[in-house]
Amino acid sequence: MTPLERHCGWLLHAYPAWYRRERAGEMLGTLLEASPPGRSWPSFRDARALAIGSLRVRGWTWLLTMLWVVMGAGGAIYATVAFSHPGYGEGLLIPPNIQWPREPQVIIDVGVIAEVAWGLLSGPLLVAGFVRLRGWRRRNWLRVTGWAGSWVAGIALMNQAAEWAAAGMYGTRGLLSIGEMAICAAWLVLGGGMTWILAAPAPPRAAGQRDVVHRLGQAHR
Amino acid sequence: MREPTYFVLASLLDGPLHGYAIIRRAEDLSGGRVRLATGTLYTALDRLSADGFVELVSEEIVNGRARRSYGLTPSGSGALQAEATRMAEAARLVTNRSRRLKAGGPAREASPA
Repeated sequence: MTPLERHCGWLLHAYPAWYRRERAGEMLGTLLEASPPGRSWPSFRDARALAIGSLRVRGWTWLLTMLWVVMGAGGAIYATVAFSHPGYGEGLLIPPNIQWPREPQVIIDVGVIAEVAWGLLSGPLLVAGFVRLRGWRRRNWLRVTGWAGSWVAGIALMNQAAEWAAAGMYGTRGLLSIGEMAICAAWLVLGGGMTWILAAPAPPRAAGQRDVVHRLGQAHR
Repeated sequence: MREPTYFVLASLLDGPLHGYAIIRRAEDLSGGRVRLATGTLYTALDRLSADGFVELVSEEIVNGRARRSYGLTPSGSGALQAEATRMAEAARLVTNRSRRLKAGGPAREASPA
């Protein structure tokens, strides 16, 4: 296997498994043919097009999910950083939202916006997943249950992060919060699980595409 | 219809082609203007297949990988012709008026009273 082939293969992993099963070999062949000789990496244009193409295949529900997960993990990282500062929580009440002495204003602003956005996103995300998974069809009950369970787990993680963050306020010395770091890791695992739930079934919008790709694969077998 | 989609369909007018051949043909037909990236091509092929404009014609194994050839369906051919006609009419509108302006005539024809 040439380096170019290996690197193109890495990029194709951005696509969901069901798509790769049908298309990856063909796309890899085209990528190799389209690359000038002597290259070991695909061009930036090709890499960007593959990234955009994979996002289109995965759909906007997955994008929203990743945004929700990254914001959740970001909240845990923020709490970890706040914990590590001596005097964490001292300025929380006057003026509001400052988590540690001399906290940069831009971090305060981003934190407030992210907190509000995460809360606003949670409800629509639950509904979007339900619609995408065709939750009203009885045969999809297991995936929908997994989706709802993941959503509840996300809410629980956020609550636990906030609870631990509140419990650690007014500490006189900075600490490395193992609990918040564990929550951050749990968010990443949850993101992987939610990606699997959304990718494994035939989602409504992608279903047509999946059928087409499957048909392409089956037509001449 | 977006330009890359138009040239993907146009590249299949002379017969079925596989992925890389479509990229090359689209570039030739557009005078080098449309250079399709592989990801863009397969996104377009997925969409055009779902719309019934393009179909799988043959499949062979080359270097251990599938190489599929795609062809225009009758509805794909019709959509391409309709788009070509629309663009030709739009171009004619502009060229006719420009010609009239150069000849010193009115840019707009007088509407009947």
